[in-house]
Amino acid sequence: MSLARQRLLGLLLLAPALVFVLGVVAYPLAQALWLSLTNAQVGETGRFIGLANYRYLLDQGTYHDAFRNTVAYTVAGTLLKAAVGLGTALALVRPFLGRRFVYAALFMPFVFPTVIGTISWYYLFSNVHGGLNYVLLSLHLIRESVPFLGTGASAMAGLVTVNVWHGSALFAVLILAGLRTVPRDVLDVATTDGATSFQRFRHVVLPALVPALALGAMLSIAGTFGDFAIVHLLTGGGPANSTTILSTMAFQTALRDGDLGTAAAVALSVLPLYAAGLAYMLTLVRR
Amino acid sequence: MSGATRSTGRALFLAALVVFALLPFQWMLVASLKPGDEQLLHGNPWWVGAPYWSNYLGLANPAGPFGHWLMNTVLVMAATLGISLVASLLAAFALAYMRVPLGRGLAVALFATYLLPQGVLFLPLVNMLSRLHLLNSPLTLVLTYPGLVIPFGTWVLWSFFRGLPRDLVDLARVEGAGTVSLLGRVVLPLALPALAAITLFGVAIVFNDYLYAFAFISDERSQTIVAALGSTSTDINDAGTLFAAVLVGVAPLAIVCAFFADTYARGLGSGVIET
Repeated sequence: MSLARQRLLGLLLLAPALVFVLGVVAYPLAQALWLSLTNAQVGETGRFIGLANYRYLLDQGTYHDAFRNTVAYTVAGTLLKAAVGLGTALALVRPFLGRRFVYAALFMPFVFPTVIGTISWYYLFSNVHGGLNYVLLSLHLIRESVPFLGTGASAMAGLVTVNVWHGSALFAVLILAGLRTVPRDVLDVATTDGATSFQRFRHVVLPALVPALALGAMLSIAGTFGDFAIVHLLTGGGPANSTTILSTMAFQTALRDGDLGTAAAVALSVLPLYAAGLAYMLTLVRR
Repeated sequence: MSGATRSTGRALFLAALVVFALLPFQWMLVASLKPGDEQLLHGNPWWVGAPYWSNYLGLANPAGPFGHWLMNTVLVMAATLGISLVASLLAAFALAYMRVPLGRGLAVALFATYLLPQGVLFLPLVNMLSRLHLLNSPLTLVLTYPGLVIPFGTWVLWSFFRGLPRDLVDLARVEGAGTVSLLGRVVLPLALPALAAITLFGVAIVFNDYLYAFAFISDERSQTIVAALGSTSTDINDAGTLFAAVLVGVAPLAIVCAFFADTYARGLGSGVIET
């Protein structure tokens, strides 16, 4: 087959994927960029106002809160998921009786709808006959129900808990795949040379896991940074905006206030920072 | 540390993790076996003495919305997976073997689109879909979800193909295999683990989306089960029926997927991590 024909056929095979990606990702992205530079409202196209939306956000306390919360939520969630995932993978790497069932049970939260899991967690955290409070009260560890989602810091801890519940299995799975790339011969030599198990882990196992950890971190950052379901359903951004993140703020600005231009600016404002972080991770995955 | 203490420690650690992972499921199971909103108000939320089976029997009621929700969910899931798998396979094959100009750049750009937060896209999508009169139909999700699955799927398959021995493809070509038989007879059978991994990932994406399903569809009968349960219009007073519906409609697929976690690890590992 001639090169020209091969290229043509290649483009033809690429077409279905490109149609979807251009149609429902690239085009909306361009639209979002344009919206963020206008004063569009629901039902009104709006006109070009330059960077006014972005300047407006810089003066908004809510925006600064949302930015801080997004970073805190993403960093805490990702680090904890990586730690739990690493522990899980190391515990699961050797075969044992019932491993299949344990593995499946731990993977369940990842393949089960987040929305439903979050609704259930909401009732576990609730201070009105909540599942966790019921246990603590029955054990006489507390005298009255604790409003877990009632104060800022513990509400954020609640969000991170659900995030870790949902996503740590993905890290575990990726790390398990990564563990198969650990060079056995190097490990054996290290053992003969008297390296402690910590030294072996630190200098042989961990370096081999970098691509898996970086890929896990990328997927976790993408999922947590853009998360809407957990925050919207568990705390709704409350109490008093203490758990509002950028995606819930964009949603509320658009659908409650009808302010499409500002909402688009909220969603897009941190994209450069986010993209730079992910690009760095990608170099670690594909080194 | 002796071997025995170590394996006891490991067993305890795993037991704690399993309890953490399954906690909400036990709660939902108990909720589904109690009438109405009893689970939210009184009794032991972790156990039920006399199960109330009517929640499950009531799901068969054709007048209820559950039939619609389940149908919509199955339709959206099946169509999204079908479209995404085919489009990803063709695209990755083209990028790996057809000398498409800028192939490598395209593959990385595709993956980058996967990482775009949905929060950036949903606003213009609402505008666009409403102009096309597509809002409030499950079809909307069939059109938008593949945009979330294809970029990741293509990237995984492309990485996988690059890891295959080049000779294999060259040999098939020398033997006179056309593009179609190369794809169907040589590449496809080898790509099955990667395709299985992408299927699992697709299921997780469809199940985990809330923003699209919630923002694009407000008509109750057109919703998927996930969005329906997450919307404020749904009557939580009937928690018993709601969670029975979840356990019947969603849990089986999730459980099947959960048992394929190893496949997922292998499918991702063989391409993305082990190159």
